[in-house]
Amino acid sequence: MSSSDKLALTLLLLALPLALVAALVSGPVSIDLGAALTQGWRSESSDAVILWQLRLPRALLAILVGAALGMGGAAMQGMLRNPLAEPALLGVSSGAALAAILLLYYGSALQASWGSAWQSGWLLPALAIAGAFSAVGCVWLLAGRGAGAGQLVLAGVAINAFLSALMALALNYAPSLFAMQEIVFWLLGSLANRGWDQLLLALPFVLLGAILLFSARNYLRALSLGEDSAASLGYRGRRYPLSILLGIAAAVGAAVAVAGTIGFIGLVVPHLMRPLVGQDPGRLLWTSALAGALLLLLADILVVNFVGAQELRIGAVTAFIGAPFFFWLIVSARRGQQL
Amino acid sequence: MKGLEVSCLQLGLERQRRPVLSEISCVFKPFELTAVVGPNGAGKSSLLQALAGVLAPSAGHIELDGQPAERISPAQMARLCAYLPQAETPAWSLRAADLVALGLLPWGRPKDRERRVSAALQLVDAQQLAERPVTRLSGGELRRVQLARLLVGEAPLLIADEPTAALDIRHQLQLMHTFRRQADAGKTVVLALHDLPMAARFCDRILLLEQGRLVAQGTPEDVFTPALIGDVYGVTCEFRWRDGVADFVPLDLL
Repeated sequence: MSSSDKLALTLLLLALPLALVAALVSGPVSIDLGAALTQGWRSESSDAVILWQLRLPRALLAILVGAALGMGGAAMQGMLRNPLAEPALLGVSSGAALAAILLLYYGSALQASWGSAWQSGWLLPALAIAGAFSAVGCVWLLAGRGAGAGQLVLAGVAINAFLSALMALALNYAPSLFAMQEIVFWLLGSLANRGWDQLLLALPFVLLGAILLFSARNYLRALSLGEDSAASLGYRGRRYPLSILLGIAAAVGAAVAVAGTIGFIGLVVPHLMRPLVGQDPGRLLWTSALAGALLLLLADILVVNFVGAQELRIGAVTAFIGAPFFFWLIVSARRGQQL
Repeated sequence: MKGLEVSCLQLGLERQRRPVLSEISCVFKPFELTAVVGPNGAGKSSLLQALAGVLAPSAGHIELDGQPAERISPAQMARLCAYLPQAETPAWSLRAADLVALGLLPWGRPKDRERRVSAALQLVDAQQLAERPVTRLSGGELRRVQLARLLVGEAPLLIADEPTAALDIRHQLQLMHTFRRQADAGKTVVLALHDLPMAARFCDRILLLEQGRLVAQGTPEDVFTPALIGDVYGVTCEFRWRDGVADFVPLDLL
């Protein structure tokens, strides 16, 4: 790693707490941050409630979700040896999304019997995480024994397509315009109105995912040489790809469950970080987590400061950052640079 | 260094339910440089993959120093055997030195990593490529860097699939000398080769494969006869031997 790369990584690391402070002072109401902090989280003053119950959990959730998406993208690109892979490719996001949609869809019926769970806001994310794991399970079964990256992608695309069809069907027969609007907004992704409940629900899954992915970092390194060479370096059998898939299902599934589908972070962030870590797919994991966290937090600051009749959805913001990045990729590939 | 003896007993291998190797019985010994030769599709790469533990045999078995290969863990196998496939395409544009260092993964993070990497690069005359991204290397340069990855570890068994294919004649010779020295130091070296004179000059033993079967094995003088080679490759040819160096002349199609 060259010294300029080290400097860039240090700046990233320093930028995260700064962005966190910026997120805490951003919002329609200006608060006295110092006073709110010293009053403590039990205080009933409006500044303290805004800080401790609204802004802090939301900012921490942006960090957690962004880190999960960035790390998931880096792991997916590493496992499939493909810079265009993203965590949604293997159906994780659509599995989570479908489960969430079904709940929003039949929500009113369930609300009666599951009243308390519905109120606390953990039912939807919990079901979405289960949906993510189910989708990855289906991909794993469909790809079959000893599947290589190619078969996994094919199985993932197939499962993904099927889940998208089910989502289209659910939208088609949405019981009311209100339900449809809720589904569409959920699909666009948002961090608004999230609190400690969602954060505490997602945290263990993202941590579990991080442990699974980081424990497979040497497998990803060996895999840069190809599957046969990785096998000869000791990374043989289903254990390693399985741990990557479960890691992505846990981390990205939990991220989608609490924040909806937020695209492009998982695709763009590993690309941005790859040159800084000498293209090493192992170190790319934590740097992508860091940069994903920063990027999503910055995008959310933009969302919070955006003044309009409708809330600006964060999924739309990340897509606006992501798509021009693709233009840039194409232009630099045209100039003969490496993707 | 302790050498490693590898024996194959009635080895059979299938790919997509089609047999690609059958009834292969042979022994690879320390201090020996063995070339596996044969026409395209004869099963050379499959045999090497089975030896390296990358493909599981469908029949027979492989033993390493008398221990059945299926009882050796993947991590242990990686410390016993280094393998370079025929076509290895790096997915990312790693620095050449970083790619070579991947060969040390089975040994964790040894302290003298950098010294070993530069020594391995020196073995293949590629020390000047250390800082270059591997996607900016020519085919032959990349192959030499990959060979350094093969040589950087301490595995007593070295397996390389057509290591000389992309190299210029100077680097071909240099590489064969390197493999010869590795064998002389006690390693067991197995190479798939298309270059018969090169195999004759540097190797102790030749395995001749045809359609998944072992047609002949022995010293180069035993195997490289116009009758045997002509028959297997479907050509007429001549071998003129001078001091253990074979002048091989393919004459015409049979």
